[in-house]
Amino acid sequence: MANTFALAALASAEKMLNTALRYDPATRIGLAQLEGKILALQITAPAITVFVMPMDDELRLMGNWEGDVDTRITGSLLALAQLGQKEVHNLKDSGVTVMGDLTLLADLQRLLKNLDIDWEEMLSQFTGDIIGHQAAQVIRAKFGWMKDRAQSAQRLTSEFLTEELKTLPGKPELEDFYRQVDDVRLAVDRAAARVEKLIAERKP
Amino acid sequence: MNDKKTTHFGFQEVPVEEKAERVAEVFHSVAAKYDVMNDLMSGGVHRLWKRFTIEASGVRAGHKVLDIAGGTGDLSYQFAKLVGANGQVVLADINASMLGVGRDRLTDRGIAGNINFAQCDAQFLPFPDNTFDCITIAFGLRNVTDKDLALRSMQRVLKPGGRLLVLEFSKPQSEILSKIYDTYSFKVLPFMGKLVTNDAESYRYLAESIRMHPDQQTLKDMMDNAGFVRTEFHNMTGGIVALHKGIKP
Repeated sequence: MANTFALAALASAEKMLNTALRYDPATRIGLAQLEGKILALQITAPAITVFVMPMDDELRLMGNWEGDVDTRITGSLLALAQLGQKEVHNLKDSGVTVMGDLTLLADLQRLLKNLDIDWEEMLSQFTGDIIGHQAAQVIRAKFGWMKDRAQSAQRLTSEFLTEELKTLPGKPELEDFYRQVDDVRLAVDRAAARVEKLIAERKP
Repeated sequence: MNDKKTTHFGFQEVPVEEKAERVAEVFHSVAAKYDVMNDLMSGGVHRLWKRFTIEASGVRAGHKVLDIAGGTGDLSYQFAKLVGANGQVVLADINASMLGVGRDRLTDRGIAGNINFAQCDAQFLPFPDNTFDCITIAFGLRNVTDKDLALRSMQRVLKPGGRLLVLEFSKPQSEILSKIYDTYSFKVLPFMGKLVTNDAESYRYLAESIRMHPDQQTLKDMMDNAGFVRTEFHNMTGGIVALHKGIKP
């Protein structure tokens, strides 16, 4: 029975995803180029593996796959969700491990990041062109406003912590500190080399 | 002394040579509304059972797939997409009406080029030995007159290492579910059949044939006897349906 529910959940997720993708032609073209590749999304907590397969210009989500996998990405749900939200160049300490073809992951991440649903097209299917256009304008404005607020909130919090409270160092201070650490490290390396040279010279 | 061989047609015993004809009548009668009835009868769950079958098939680009009793082409549609332009799918059904509905539907959905249609009997598959990477038979085996003969025929046309998937109604694993299922199949199903296709008898046959079909372990043993290895089955929806899998050595 659990199997049937898991299948139903995946089928619904796939349907939702592909309905959304139908209104983003650019992403669909991108997906079509990845056809035949298989990404295994292995979530450790809770333990679920989902196989993602671009097929035609849609995404297929499968609970089982007995063929080869191009890329396997493993991590907790939280770690994977964080990875999906930001561009990550280094997976060290992210709690996520990747095996196989990294370009597939990078391509999918880029496609998700650039996802741009055509709300107007979607709404006008139900409401007609004029109302659809007006409603889409409202949605776009709201999303834009939320995105701006989220970015400015991040900037203001960062400024408040570094400039007002002085609890965190600013970026230039941090860079200066790193430079000093580097200088010390290099000085220690040089001293160690000198000591080794002196010991070598004193040996008969 | 009457030594005429008989087989079951639902709960009735009929001469062996008559079964195929009687099954054909049932499917000629329901072909046009087969999909509507499937959705109605299973509440759409048959799509999930088929989905699991696709996932378990391991079919990839370039493979050759035979979809026996493929009927209206649900599985063939997915397989045709999976095998791509270099692969091949054969949608086979013994029943011309069902095959016609399936062919029209697939053509309407833009599936062409990598699909062929064959009206043939699962017991005597008209393909060379070692042809297919995967064979599926979904909700078809119970209508076949001689199931052992059909399994051997499938084993013959599979490539070594190829897999057979049998999706079929089976035996519910819990007593309570079994009781509910019995009431549903013998009371509700024929009534729905009457409403939608004006044919209660065909749907009574459906319920009866499900009861007469071998249970999970028996079918697994039959597959072993036909020469398959690594045979196993997965129960779905409490065992109402089971997916049997076997590999040709």
